[in-house]
Amino acid sequence: MSDLVKEVTAGGKPLKKAYVAIMLWFMGRAVQAAAKSDKEVKKEFEALPDDFTFALGVLPNGPWMVVGKEEGKVKYLGWNPDIKKLHLRLDVKGIESAILMFTFQESTTIAFMHNRVIANGELPYAMAFMRILDIVETYLLPKFIAKLAVKRYPTQWSFGRKYGGRVCVYTRALLGF
Amino acid sequence: MIFSDSFEFTCPIKTNSGKKALEQLPAELDALNAKKPLVITGKELVSKCVIKKFTKAFSDSGMTIGIFDGVPENPDWKLIDELKKAYSEKKYDSIIALGSGVIVEVAKVLNIAVSLNVDSRKIAKDPAVKRPLNPLVVVPTAAGSGLETSRFAHFQGTVFSSFYLMPALIILDPRMTRAESKEEMATAALAAFARSVEAYIAKSKNPLADAYAYAAIGFVAGNLATAVEKPCNKKSALAIANAVAMSGTAMSNTTAGLISNLGQVLVEMFQFPYGIGMGICLPHILAYYQKKGGYNIAQLLLPLSGPDLYAATPDSSKTDRALTIVGGMLRELYETVENKMPKTLKAAGVPQYMLADILEKLSLADDAAFDKEGYLTVIESAWEGKPVA
Amino acid sequence: MLLPEYYEFCCRVQLVAGHKALERIPALLADLGAKKPLIITDKGVAGAGLITIVTEAIKSGVTIGAIADNVPPDSDLKVVNELAGMYKQKECDSLIAVGGGSVMDTAKGVNIIVSENATDLMKFSGAGALKRVLKPLIAVPTTAGTGSEVTLVAVIKDHEKHIKMAFTSYFLLPNVSILDSRMTMTMPPFITSMTGMDALTHAVEAYYCLQKNPLSDSHAYAAIELISKNLLTAVKNPTDKDSRLAMAVGATLAGIAFSNSMVGMVHNLGHSTGSVCGVPHGICMSILLPYGLEYNMHKSEKFIAELLLPLAGPDVYSKTPGAKRAEKVVELIRKMNDDLYVATDKRHARCLKEVMDRDGKQMVPKEKLIEIAKAALSDPASAYNPEEADYDDNVMVLEAAWEGKPLDRTKIKKG
Repeated sequence: MSDLVKEVTAGGKPLKKAYVAIMLWFMGRAVQAAAKSDKEVKKEFEALPDDFTFALGVLPNGPWMVVGKEEGKVKYLGWNPDIKKLHLRLDVKGIESAILMFTFQESTTIAFMHNRVIANGELPYAMAFMRILDIVETYLLPKFIAKLAVKRYPTQWSFGRKYGGRVCVYTRALLGF
Repeated sequence: MIFSDSFEFTCPIKTNSGKKALEQLPAELDALNAKKPLVITGKELVSKCVIKKFTKAFSDSGMTIGIFDGVPENPDWKLIDELKKAYSEKKYDSIIALGSGVIVEVAKVLNIAVSLNVDSRKIAKDPAVKRPLNPLVVVPTAAGSGLETSRFAHFQGTVFSSFYLMPALIILDPRMTRAESKEEMATAALAAFARSVEAYIAKSKNPLADAYAYAAIGFVAGNLATAVEKPCNKKSALAIANAVAMSGTAMSNTTAGLISNLGQVLVEMFQFPYGIGMGICLPHILAYYQKKGGYNIAQLLLPLSGPDLYAATPDSSKTDRALTIVGGMLRELYETVENKMPKTLKAAGVPQYMLADILEKLSLADDAAFDKEGYLTVIESAWEGKPVA
Repeated sequence: MLLPEYYEFCCRVQLVAGHKALERIPALLADLGAKKPLIITDKGVAGAGLITIVTEAIKSGVTIGAIADNVPPDSDLKVVNELAGMYKQKECDSLIAVGGGSVMDTAKGVNIIVSENATDLMKFSGAGALKRVLKPLIAVPTTAGTGSEVTLVAVIKDHEKHIKMAFTSYFLLPNVSILDSRMTMTMPPFITSMTGMDALTHAVEAYYCLQKNPLSDSHAYAAIELISKNLLTAVKNPTDKDSRLAMAVGATLAGIAFSNSMVGMVHNLGHSTGSVCGVPHGICMSILLPYGLEYNMHKSEKFIAELLLPLAGPDVYSKTPGAKRAEKVVELIRKMNDDLYVATDKRHARCLKEVMDRDGKQMVPKEKLIEIAKAALSDPASAYNPEEADYDDNVMVLEAAWEGKPLDRTKIKKG
């Protein structure tokens, strides 16, 4: 009997994966930077447990970004989600969903709304993460993009906070301190 | 809203509709504990680029899928047995139907065979399904019969009816649901509309089935004109696909009436698509119901016209208004397809001498409201295309 | 009909409704391959005679394994483990949960343990931990209601470790939910009004919050119509079985709507008011609902306006100018609260300062509002609210809800 059924093994999407990997790397470092320069982000992290670690990445096998608190400091911990016990793990359901998020076609809120992300861990942690991410994105992105990414663009930020903070976060993120 | 003193409702289907719905499939299959799906499709029935897009959605998922793309227009039991063999040999654990109509029928019947481990002879003899089956996912394309999401399957003259046949998941992706032609879109929309209307106006009201029917009617009313005029318009095609999917759930939870029964008889006797027969008969049946009384046609005005017109119309005029809107929708549809679809049973090729046979077959359906004279008048009206008052 | 760019919808619970729906249970269990259920309930339900009605209706068709009526008002891990032990000891093969939210959650927790043969429930917390079908579970709600018979969430508290475990999975859904008018007949007026407004809030928030979709909309719409037509009757004439059935169906429709469309500020602030001050959920909902609508009006006016039709009927809808319909919805909901206040002999509070416990003591002192506002920030229900709400916004809304004064909409920060 001829082969009725053709078996197909899924290929990859290397370019899209690389793009998401770069975005996640940058975002992880930006969170580390914002935790030092922005008082709201600092406050959010202070309210979280001492060894709080979270990971954001793409199913089924990455890329990932891991950020955690170590000895009172918030650090970007690389791309291995198995490195430590995670308090919060956000799994994006596939590379295409990740592309929607990281090209800002869908904001974080909209991505959650569209069930593109599975949240594992206590929900208050997820809420804190979303607030932190909104602030970090406001720093990283020009207003016309940030408005798409965050829920309510903070029009009440002072010039100093927005632009000074932006320089600070970018510098720290790129140089890793 | 009145509803009957007792009712039941089942819908095991998860609906995922919209942008990149297809790419969620690997994660959804994982949630259903399905690791190796067998995809059932037909390259004569579904375009090559649809199959290609579908396969691409699995990129980066690490999954292996099996694809059978040879579903013909008239599949037979032999095909089911062959596919069952392939399914077991290669250890698939779920089925994805990529396409509509007969593709989904094959998928449903195959699912019975592989889940209950029975061959086609046994299934044909005893079509009852009393246990849950393996996961079935449906990814419809435009040419829907409206039965894809229903608890029914029709295969080689055997009728299957079980809630276990309904898919666990339906993926409505705008890249899949555009139609090839105006007629294809119109036919699917009409089937969805007719079934939803039947569920919604039924004497015995089921508020859950109504919720599905209400949404379906709203989608058809709001999108029919655009969808048929431009069958490749993603947004309106997706809306119609939603209506088709919802109509299957609605009709699975209501008792079949004249609209469905007559539609089924016409398909069996004359092999034209559900939407054609149901579209022709719908206005005549509604006129008959209006005369007979007891059907909730007035309520139809709400999903058809929206709250403003509904609220502004006095109760005594609601039924007339609803019927006028339905008539207008159908007239516009037939104009848009440039009369390439028959408006009467006569134009559809039904010989006049067979009208009595149609009535005869109708009498065999389980219909407590069977009314020989009334039904014959409806059939004759639909044959001739008598103007509906 | 609005078609979102993307949406998901699922309600896999089979619904059986009627004045004699309980009698269907033996056949339904048989369809699921079961015949020896463990009945889980609480003392309140048992005391009201409802378990007797259930057992009378089903005893000729099944063997009742055991009846456990010690579920506390807040679902407790110790009780869950105890009942799982009872299930195994009596060799039961299915579960029937008769009660409200806590009983449902407990039953879901028991089901995880007995189906997965688990020793530590914590391992299954979060989303996606359950991968296969659990034992048959039939839900018989006795309020109308929380909608927990159709939600995929269970919350179990570990009172020893002071943690709250949340479980989210489609596999947690009951196989069947029985909506029988006899089960809500004994609800006293005050509980009826409170749970009824809870259901109304579910439907309303589902309709105007961010995750709305066509099916959640049609379910919510139908729910609002049923509840607004029947709630006052059910409160004033508790034995009217038609209005009881209508409320049960409305509450389930609302439960299906909100579990597919999520809720917003009203639930956000309501959960926190409940956890900080112990105010029953339904009371929080009824008080905060008009405020949630006012806060989000600038973003969701169109959707709120559409609700005037199911809420008040075609006459009021057509006579109200389009631009005034959303405000009218808010006005009517405040009126519902007023009517219920009268019908329940002033037990149905209309504002936070009016909420009293059984001893007549105020449950929400004004000083507690800032604590509630802070707690609300950790609650996920704010994510789907149309407008962002930070600490200051929460305080503003809570203060208005405390006084019972309409929200000053000019003070809302618009995003």
